[in-house]
Amino acid sequence: MEKVTDLTPVARPKTAAPWSRKSPQFRLYASLASIVPAAIALGTIAITGMDFMAALFIIFLPIQVIAAALVGITVYGRRGILEGLLVVATIFLSSFVFVLLGSVIWSVVSNGFAALSPSFIFQNNYYIQPKTSLEFGGVGHSIVGSLLIVGLSTIVTVPLGLATAVYLTETQGKSKGIIRTLLQAMSGLPSVVSGLFIYAMFIASGITTYAGWTGSLALIPLMLPTVARVTEEALRLVPVELRNGALALGAPAWRAFVQVTLPAAKSGIVTAILLGVARVIGETAPLVLTTFAADRTNLNVFDGAMGSLPTYLFNYIAFGFDESIQRAWGAALVILILVAILFISARVASRTRTKARK
Amino acid sequence: MTVNVPSEKIERRKLASKPFARADRIFFSVSTAAAYSSFVIIALILIFLVGRAIPAFQKQGIIDFAFGSTWDSAATPATFQLGPMLWGSILISLIGVVIAVPLAISIAYFIEFMAHKTLAKIVTTVVDLLAAIPSIVLGLWGAFVFSPIAAGWAKMLNQSMGWIPIFDNPEQNFLRSPFIAGIVVAVMIVPIIASITREIFSQMDRDVINASLALGGNRESTFRKVILPTAAGGVIGGVLLGLGRALGETVAVLYVLNISFDINWANVLQAKGGSVASMIISKFGEANPDEISALMAAGLVLFVFTLIINSIASYIVAKAQPWRK
Repeated sequence: MEKVTDLTPVARPKTAAPWSRKSPQFRLYASLASIVPAAIALGTIAITGMDFMAALFIIFLPIQVIAAALVGITVYGRRGILEGLLVVATIFLSSFVFVLLGSVIWSVVSNGFAALSPSFIFQNNYYIQPKTSLEFGGVGHSIVGSLLIVGLSTIVTVPLGLATAVYLTETQGKSKGIIRTLLQAMSGLPSVVSGLFIYAMFIASGITTYAGWTGSLALIPLMLPTVARVTEEALRLVPVELRNGALALGAPAWRAFVQVTLPAAKSGIVTAILLGVARVIGETAPLVLTTFAADRTNLNVFDGAMGSLPTYLFNYIAFGFDESIQRAWGAALVILILVAILFISARVASRTRTKARK
Repeated sequence: MTVNVPSEKIERRKLASKPFARADRIFFSVSTAAAYSSFVIIALILIFLVGRAIPAFQKQGIIDFAFGSTWDSAATPATFQLGPMLWGSILISLIGVVIAVPLAISIAYFIEFMAHKTLAKIVTTVVDLLAAIPSIVLGLWGAFVFSPIAAGWAKMLNQSMGWIPIFDNPEQNFLRSPFIAGIVVAVMIVPIIASITREIFSQMDRDVINASLALGGNRESTFRKVILPTAAGGVIGGVLLGLGRALGETVAVLYVLNISFDINWANVLQAKGGSVASMIISKFGEANPDEISALMAAGLVLFVFTLIINSIASYIVAKAQPWRK
């Protein structure tokens, strides 16, 4: 029998990457340095009842920096001071971002939860004054409006974004670089400018009055770059051999794309659509400029004013009464839930993609 | 058996450089047309904004419009000048970038070089989640939850370093200042800068880093002398993209800033500032046609400004990743 070549890679020698091995002594010091300062700071707060922020900045941080610097000195000598500083700064600043995100989500959930009730979600805002108590009226019309407006712009944007991504990956087009730069520049388009543009094009010129579809149009320039870029990434992940195999079997390019590349990149494209929707579902400025917030449920995107969640939020923050702010928190929670649903579905879709690739 | 073909009858077959099938030609032309739609959209935005803005430019004069500091629709003749807003936008974006860059770089460093795989994945998700929060929700949070806290920070800053002119605040009112707006903007652009920086970090040659460590460098010297210089281009591009986003930030800034046409050069703790985008949305509701034209002109200025910054940024990011074609 023919001898099979052993394809398993050579085992890494134990002495490889000596810099990544840490001595037990170092581990002890490092864990001491990460526990002691926190313990001292917490102890001080417990004993003296000091303000948390003050304790954080006056007691915890200096001690932590000194401790990390001491550990650095024992390992690396004098240059270790900066090493300790880097570690402390990185972890502290990273957790600061965590704290910010936690604060945003916690405040929206805790404040919005009080407003959330079936009537708040299903009723519309007709006859509701800014100071009406929360038992009456809700965001039903805004949820419907948001879904319709975003749905219409998704229907327009997705084919456009998909075809743009096809141009960027499947064709031999000469202006790929320019298109990519334009898309990147468009992804930084200020949302208010997009609203002004549609206002100037359709409303100021008298073609139409405020309506749902003008809002949809205003969302397209904001959504297109996200959809096109993520789709491009997804198409790029499809192995070249698959595509070339189909072409070599005599399939025309469009068949190779529709029957081979597209199914292979399906979950990536779904991710692109979901991320694009998540990008625009909370956009406020364009909708404020192009859809006049209505109080009643309007199911026709092409006629009449239409409410949406962001404009609802915008109006109720502007009223400034306690009840209206309460409603605003409720609407913010609804938006956040919608974004979370989209975000989690995008994660799930991209996870199935990575599984399929293995 | 040989076949004699007169040499002039042999036609060299051309290599296929164009699709033969009609369906393919349609397929390619549709995708090309779609690709140029982004070009068309940007051109349309420019055309329509310029069209609406011309009356304002003619009445006010371009230089006066951009740099003057009066906005009064009741005056005769109505005066619309953008100066304080333009400077306010730049000031807030700069504050935002100064705060966001250390946060974003340390998060990217943490994800790529310090955390274990699972933790890195969680942190990446958190950063993406932060990017997905709509700006109006952040505005609501900024106005009712964060502003009081940040006002406390501003007060501390003023008391400890008030002798520096930029932290001066004689009125002792710390709410709705450019400082707070800058922090809220920083929260919005941290994910943008962080994700680009992380991408650049993750594509770096690991051998270079390992070589630095093997030569006796520690994490800090490797970061300062190897990682940062190699990744600098991409990081700068990311920062510029963040800057572009910060300039265009609308509703989040509206709720945490007192918009004032009394120009505030650098007193970041005082409760007056400006932002072009937020000014547009706050004045739009009750604007007369003249003012609408001026607002369009303001939008045009903002658009051209962000377009230039973003184009430079994406050019730098593309240059920093030569392996991506």
